[in-house]
Amino acid sequence: MLRGSIGLCALIALVGTLGTAQAFDESKYPDLKGQWNRTTAPRWESAKNAPLTPEYRAVFEANVKDQAEGGQGDTPTFTCLSPGMPRVMNAYEPFEIVVTPQSTHILMDHIHDSRRILTDGRDWPADIDPSFAGYSIGKWLDEDGDGRYDVLVVETRALRGPRSYDSTGIPFHKDNQTIIKERLWLDKANSNTLYDEITVIDNALTRPWTTTKKYVRGPNRKPVWSESVCAEGNQHVVIEDEPYMLSSDGYLMPSKKGQKPPDLTYFKTRNKQPAE
Amino acid sequence: MLYRNTVGAFALASALLMAMGVAQAFDDSKYPDWNGQWRRPPGVNNQWDPSKPRYKEGAPLTPEYQAIYEANIKDQEAGGMGTDPTYTCIPDGMPRAMNVIFPMEIIIMPKTTYILIEYLTMLRRIFTDGRDFPKEFPSSFMGYSIGHWVDTDGDGHYDQLEIETRNLKNPRAFDSSGIPLHEDAETVVKEKIYADKANPDVLHDEITTMDHALTRPWTVVKNYNRVRNEIWVESICSENNDHLKLGNDVYMRSADGFLMPAKKGQAAPSLKYFEK
Repeated sequence: MLRGSIGLCALIALVGTLGTAQAFDESKYPDLKGQWNRTTAPRWESAKNAPLTPEYRAVFEANVKDQAEGGQGDTPTFTCLSPGMPRVMNAYEPFEIVVTPQSTHILMDHIHDSRRILTDGRDWPADIDPSFAGYSIGKWLDEDGDGRYDVLVVETRALRGPRSYDSTGIPFHKDNQTIIKERLWLDKANSNTLYDEITVIDNALTRPWTTTKKYVRGPNRKPVWSESVCAEGNQHVVIEDEPYMLSSDGYLMPSKKGQKPPDLTYFKTRNKQPAE
Repeated sequence: MLYRNTVGAFALASALLMAMGVAQAFDDSKYPDWNGQWRRPPGVNNQWDPSKPRYKEGAPLTPEYQAIYEANIKDQEAGGMGTDPTYTCIPDGMPRAMNVIFPMEIIIMPKTTYILIEYLTMLRRIFTDGRDFPKEFPSSFMGYSIGHWVDTDGDGHYDQLEIETRNLKNPRAFDSSGIPLHEDAETVVKEKIYADKANPDVLHDEITTMDHALTRPWTVVKNYNRVRNEIWVESICSENNDHLKLGNDVYMRSADGFLMPAKKGQAAPSLKYFEK
């Protein structure tokens, strides 16, 4: 009897020891491991759905015209600037979500698209350096009361420009006062489907604009993560605020019909023209 | 009686362990606390061997690569970029990334340790799930890294992460002085990362590089200081990058955005693709 009690105590002690070691109870959080891929083209929504103010509708139309002529309009990422928030959630490349008690990271190897969402209970700092990704504070919710978190709500502020929603050039207000609210959750019926309901509040809009992104988890639990380096082989350059292209042999060429070459007044010698 | 008690004890403990086993997916107390932000110590520049001055690091280069290095210095002195390829904002790659020009974060998860370096958006995934190097894998600037945790002092807690990195691609250099790596890109990098025994806010990375440009493996030790209550500042290389390559030559953009020579007497770039 005594020996049995000792055995019981020893085992309970073992369990107790294990309990002490358990600093991060991962099972409280949804399993977001793996590689997430977008399910549609990397577009926000059709521009006709954008509730733009008349002023920014005109900005958008001018951008469409410029793009039609070979320009870049209001899509600033051609020089490998970060797409910024919320555009990164178009998920140009597959992404990984890493959940820790203090933060949730969305790691996306595209231009400069990774996000750090702080979930440690902090409030907004008094001063934040604006950035393309912005400053994101998140909170995990247990909406169905089963003792496990199932929704991550995120608010992102302190953004900077230039940004657009996607390559069509739907603009943000130049004041960069954008606020983005998100809800991320796994599909109850299919845990390999992730949703991100994104609401954008911006002074270029007449009302908050909500869209829901859908991502699917790749089947490979040891996925291949390919490196994506925007600057490698980028054919776009800007000189004197004018976008030009690089030819396949690396020389400057016009991006628009009839575009003038850049001013070369800083050169004392003109180049020997390479064999043509 | 003893039997029944023992069975009961085991049943109870097993049930508790199973219940905890589900919950205890990640015993993070086994791993070192490397949370926070890691920076180069004050006064340490971003040369490869922090114990020696730039250009006097004593790289054990083969005669062929020593000649390449010296030609690179000559080119840099003339205003060129020599063999430092990152002026176009491609990543430093490994092992140069560990110069940690901008701060880094280390996220330890059971199967992967992530090193996030803000500069040039360099993300390292170090797989610690016991996998072997894949037979075929696309090469990358950051390479493919496999690590394993070691409990060097036998106290039941891991204290050292050992890493091997392969599958690297070019162009890379050790630092901005242009110390070259071999053009065959068969570099192998081995690291031992561990916290200082006397000061857990100091991290060491002993990095050994094996490369055909070297006459022997080259080992340096990097030190990083921890900053708690960190602020992460976004760094976008392509923003305000004044270097551009046209044809085979590197040029600059002036403060007013015009094209200008990078070297004294440099000829203007060809404008052969523009209408006369």
